[in-house]
Amino acid sequence: MAQQVKVPTVGESITEVTIANWLKNDGDMVKMDEIIAELESDKATFELTAPQAGVLKIAKAKGETVPIGAVICEIADGAGAAAPAKPAEVKTAAPTQSAKPTGGIKEMKVPAVGESITEVTISTWLKKEGDFVKLDDIIAEVESDKATFELPAEANGILRIVAQEKTTLPIGGLICKIEITEGAPATTTNASVPTATAVSSGDKTYAAGHPSPAATKILDEKGIPSSQVSGSGVGGRITKEDAEKAKVAPTTKAEAPKVTATAPVITSGGARNKRSEKMTSLRKTIAKRLVAVKNETAMLTTFNEVDMKPVMDLRSKYKDKFKEKYGVGLGFMSFFTKAVCVALKEFPAVNAQINGDEVIYHDYCDVAIAVSTPRGLVVPVIRNAESLSFDQIEGEVVRLATKGRDGKLSIEEMQGGTFSITNGGVFGSMLSTPIINPPQSAILGMHNIVERAVVKDGQVVVRPIMYLALSYDHRIVDGRESVSFLVRVKELLEEPGRLILGV
Amino acid sequence: MQYNVTVIGSGPGGYVAAIRCAQLGFKTAIIEKYDTLGGTCLNVGCIPSKALLDSSEHFHNAAHTFKEHGIEISEPKANITQMIKRKAGVVKANVDGIAFLMKKNKIDVLTGVGSFVDKNTIKITAKDGKETQITTEKVIIATGSKPTPLPFAPFDKKRIISSTEALELKEIPKHLIVIGGGIIGMELGSVYARIGSKVTVVEFLDNLIPTMDGTMGKELTKVAKKLGMDLYLGHKVTAVENKGNEVAVKAEAKNGGAVVMLNGDYCLVSIGRRPYTDGLGLEKVGIELDKGKIPVDDHLKTNLDNIYAIGDVVRGVMLAHKAEEEGVMVAEQLAGQKPHMNYLLIPGVVYTWPEVASVGYTEEQLKESGRAYKTGSFPYKALGRARASMDLDGLVKVLADKTTDEILGIHIIGARAADMIAAGVTAMEFRASAEDIARTSHAHPTYMEAVKEACLAATANRPIHM
Repeated sequence: MAQQVKVPTVGESITEVTIANWLKNDGDMVKMDEIIAELESDKATFELTAPQAGVLKIAKAKGETVPIGAVICEIADGAGAAAPAKPAEVKTAAPTQSAKPTGGIKEMKVPAVGESITEVTISTWLKKEGDFVKLDDIIAEVESDKATFELPAEANGILRIVAQEKTTLPIGGLICKIEITEGAPATTTNASVPTATAVSSGDKTYAAGHPSPAATKILDEKGIPSSQVSGSGVGGRITKEDAEKAKVAPTTKAEAPKVTATAPVITSGGARNKRSEKMTSLRKTIAKRLVAVKNETAMLTTFNEVDMKPVMDLRSKYKDKFKEKYGVGLGFMSFFTKAVCVALKEFPAVNAQINGDEVIYHDYCDVAIAVSTPRGLVVPVIRNAESLSFDQIEGEVVRLATKGRDGKLSIEEMQGGTFSITNGGVFGSMLSTPIINPPQSAILGMHNIVERAVVKDGQVVVRPIMYLALSYDHRIVDGRESVSFLVRVKELLEEPGRLILGV
Repeated sequence: MQYNVTVIGSGPGGYVAAIRCAQLGFKTAIIEKYDTLGGTCLNVGCIPSKALLDSSEHFHNAAHTFKEHGIEISEPKANITQMIKRKAGVVKANVDGIAFLMKKNKIDVLTGVGSFVDKNTIKITAKDGKETQITTEKVIIATGSKPTPLPFAPFDKKRIISSTEALELKEIPKHLIVIGGGIIGMELGSVYARIGSKVTVVEFLDNLIPTMDGTMGKELTKVAKKLGMDLYLGHKVTAVENKGNEVAVKAEAKNGGAVVMLNGDYCLVSIGRRPYTDGLGLEKVGIELDKGKIPVDDHLKTNLDNIYAIGDVVRGVMLAHKAEEEGVMVAEQLAGQKPHMNYLLIPGVVYTWPEVASVGYTEEQLKESGRAYKTGSFPYKALGRARASMDLDGLVKVLADKTTDEILGIHIIGARAADMIAAGVTAMEFRASAEDIARTSHAHPTYMEAVKEACLAATANRPIHM
């Protein structure tokens, strides 16, 4: 019995996932509960485990985006796996021998793809010379100077490639021929199914996946099972280098970006190469939501500046002691988070959100912090920040930022913030207008600290100044509240003692 | 707490654990009952026995092979006093070396018997009865083992002796009776056999060095007989009596019941070693022994979260290098690392001449587990290097999986076996096949060629020089 594996429900707001990586190949024997694929939603990455042991038949390729509930692969159980176990019986012969040729040949030419387009380039052949292709199978990707389009097979049969990759053809130029056959070769899929015991490739041996002593320790420390590492050593052994390079989660997508070079149109010297990469689900979601915020809220920004000297003095005085006592560095985030929490209590509208015809007020502060990760921006949440101590906040920041960078944040950890802080200062931003993180109503932007000449008590003095920005949704936060909120944050930071007293 | 880690016992397990702890940044103390560091291994075990082994081998060569080599000397005489003195010098240099390493790594050495007060407090009682207490976050117990006495004939240290006294004899025994033909008995028995003692070995089992692969025991039996040793295999000792200037040993054949009466001037009892935990005060912290050993989990942790135990006091083989690896493993675990140990690949060595060394499964174990295996062996006799040095006794035996050719065990008896086994351990750590070694270039002429040839024999029965 083959069991269909469907995309599991991974979170209430998630409707689709992208297949980030297949950890097993089509035709591999998989064990029950073995991790077979990594799925990526716009929020997090998941691992897909095999529901039963058997031979994997992949239905959706890496990079495809599929809705929840869709079938992404099938696993044929033991009986199914045993059937092709005798390699002698598996017909690996060329498909021509089992599919009956009709003698007809279909020539495929470059179609007219747009009125101004006169030529196209074959960017990638998705099928190989001699492959059996079915009508409407996508056999190649073709690129014009305006767009990339897919080329479907115009007949069932054997592919004979005429124009190789990177060849530029005029409209009407011959791309390939299809030797038309009747029926499909029955064994093409079977041929790739290895037996459960036989090894699939020549250089894989009984020792494949065996980590060296040093590699064992490194993998154990990283918490990576050796089954998830492919060994580059003799016979597939896992070397120390393999272990050092192994990553916990697919933080960087293993998928190589599809680089497609376009012939330069203007020959004026200087390379004009472009490359196109498929957007990740995360990126697509970010894009969609940010535009939605701009369209659906009445967002505007108020600014202020804060003299950071008192906080910096306090920090330099106690940072060693703090580190010694709590094992975590004293940064600025704890000061800002605490100041924001005090101010949020005083201006509840800033901590509120619109839900249909209602306004939801929160008597707690779940402060989301924007973290830049290799996969894009993520916004994990510090829960009940108002009740946390400085060291607890710093600890949370470190924990969440690390998990964010490693791609290990769970959806729960990113849901339900009531207010956000973003720090563009770490990248050197002087001033910016952050975008609200919906359904929240406000976001505080921190910026870089620069020594500026300011006037204090009639004297021009040099002080470390940070500009602050508060973007807010004017639908529920009025100018008085937003401006007062930001002034309050400024006061609390310029006189950190007030944080203790709450005045 | 005064210390992050306190190690009790300064044998190879303890002192290595202490150094690794110090390297990892822990404030470390080490407690040792005796005045010198190094434990059994350095003081009364591995190192001194090897010192005497080499002396006796030199003597043996002078007496028997020099002539053949074309070296003419007047008949050599064994001076046991000088041999023991030289051995003492070797031991001193080694234990001083450990003391230096402790200083270098800023490890506090506390001399006295360490005993638990509670799980974080240890009392140290010095020889003069002075007591001090220290507090510590973690404890590593590495108190090692002691020779096991016969239940009916305790060590009197004069005629009925253990390995410790055998390393300190003032005279060459006329007739040394060795009870127990295991590793220690054969090592020390062969020492005295070479310098002129009559040596008789009584072993309960039917093979010498019974923990090793059977072929090794058989080969060693041949070598021992050649050396003039009398062997009573399958014999049970029923009585040992100190008669003043003599010791009488009574043994019975296990199956036949024939009684053997032996009279010698010394009786070495080497029937094994027992874990040593006396005076540790384990009851104060609630650690209960299991057949004398301290029970530990896979991470060498006892039933208390902060107390670990390593080496001879815990399960597994009683070997210095096993204890060392465990010491490193515990230290690194305490530092949050995740080290790994493969107990199958702890090599075993017998320092007789020729040496015996092995790693992995024995043929007996493979048979018992029903694993399909193949064997390849190669004798030293067919080895150019061995012939050149007249070390013709011995062989290499390689066991490999029948289908995958993966090496499952390597057993060597012959000159330099102890050093050669390291290559086998490395190969097995990487799960090499017999053919992998067979296709690896080995320098000529070397003893290691025998390993390569045995692998050729194992992989496809195609040794070159046979």
